Amino acid sequence: MARSRRSRRTLTVIVLVVVSLSLISLDLNGRTHSLTSGIKSVANDIYSPLRQGVVDIISPIGNFFAGAFNYGAVQSENQQLQREIGQLKATQAEKSFDENQLRLLTKLENLPFLKSLPTVTAQTVDQYTSNFTSTITLDKGRADGVAVGYPVVGAGGLVGQVIQSFHHTCVVRLITDGQSKIGVVFGPSNKYTAIVDGQGPGNDLTADLVPPGTPLRKGQHMFTSGLQAAAFPPGIPVATVSTFHTPSGASQISITVEPSANLSQLAYVDVVQWVPNT
Amino acid sequence: MTARSVLRVALVIFVVLMVQQTMMVALRIGGVHPDLLWLLPITAALADGPETGGIIGFWAGLSFDLVLPTPFGLSALVGCLLGYAVGALTTAVDPRTTWLKPVAALTGSVAADMLFAVLGAILGQPQMVQIDFVALFLMISISSLVFVLPVSRLMRWALAGENSRHSLVSAQADGRLW
Repeated sequence: MARSRRSRRTLTVIVLVVVSLSLISLDLNGRTHSLTSGIKSVANDIYSPLRQGVVDIISPIGNFFAGAFNYGAVQSENQQLQREIGQLKATQAEKSFDENQLRLLTKLENLPFLKSLPTVTAQTVDQYTSNFTSTITLDKGRADGVAVGYPVVGAGGLVGQVIQSFHHTCVVRLITDGQSKIGVVFGPSNKYTAIVDGQGPGNDLTADLVPPGTPLRKGQHMFTSGLQAAAFPPGIPVATVSTFHTPSGASQISITVEPSANLSQLAYVDVVQWVPNT
Repeated sequence: MTARSVLRVALVIFVVLMVQQTMMVALRIGGVHPDLLWLLPITAALADGPETGGIIGFWAGLSFDLVLPTPFGLSALVGCLLGYAVGALTTAVDPRTTWLKPVAALTGSVAADMLFAVLGAILGQPQMVQIDFVALFLMISISSLVFVLPVSRLMRWALAGENSRHSLVSAQADGRLW
């Protein structure tokens, strides 16, 4: 009796494990991925309003405590922001000249200027829902013209890429995620190329495939390359060089870079409606 | 499992999912946040044995898989294995033992996260092992110890009448802290 009960338990768990493995296979297989993606899409359409309702209820309570505990920090942050606004106003006039120059240069190089591409402004509704991925969830989805593969930009540069698009929400993989790889160009006339690799949440990005002897400097900007079949349009700032050194005997320079976009301020971002050229 | 228990378990999974995705994700320290998912199969297994632990782990994992960016079915697989393992390994332990719940919650959650990351990496998601595991395990350990009691209470309410494991213990007399 006890033996048959044990067998039944084991059988139940084996069946569930097989079902789980089948679901994982369906999700990871390119041809059947649309099935699991469809299920997730329907679930997200139901879940998102419910989640938002809960957030609407609890956020005033959270804000009250956050405000009470962080009053000093908020006040000093406000003063800092006021100072930055002043500095930005002062440099705005100078920048307009530079922008005109850049626009002309981009036209000459026959590169699509980001501002000429259609964008969808979206609000971040969720950040880092899993400890194992660097993703954010936006409040725009297929119904708003957001599709899988679209680049996402924020203040300062590239933020990531849309990896899942549901009816009214989408999931964006940040450039810091371990699966993120971006082809970039840098240096004079943008003649040097590299791959910027995410190293997981909280870790610095790295720039790989840069041979020894390539001229580099701290603070050097790296832009999306936009080469054939690239996942991003050219010219979007991706990262700036923070440290570099060439280990003896190494075939490439070891470079760490910082994202150009401020990834801690992602309340609003722009989804660029750009499809990679194949 | 009775229809009433199924409905209650579904409600508990939904509540924990909402708490996780609205409050727990906001409690990020050192790039990691608490994870309540694994407490569902652990507490179910402690309350009603390995089969229930495995089944509830599967459904809880599948519910979380619907809203997580990780491979669909991975949480269900780990949840199922975790529930079954915790139930099977603690069958011989007296459920009244005070250390059982905190120890099972702590070791089970850490083991589940490790398995989740390794399986994810094997399945082509190498970034899942490129995280700060020390910070993650610290956060998961502390949060598991803090939240195992309320989740356990919810699970016992959901599984009331299914107490095959607790047949040795009077449900009314079980007023202990852990």
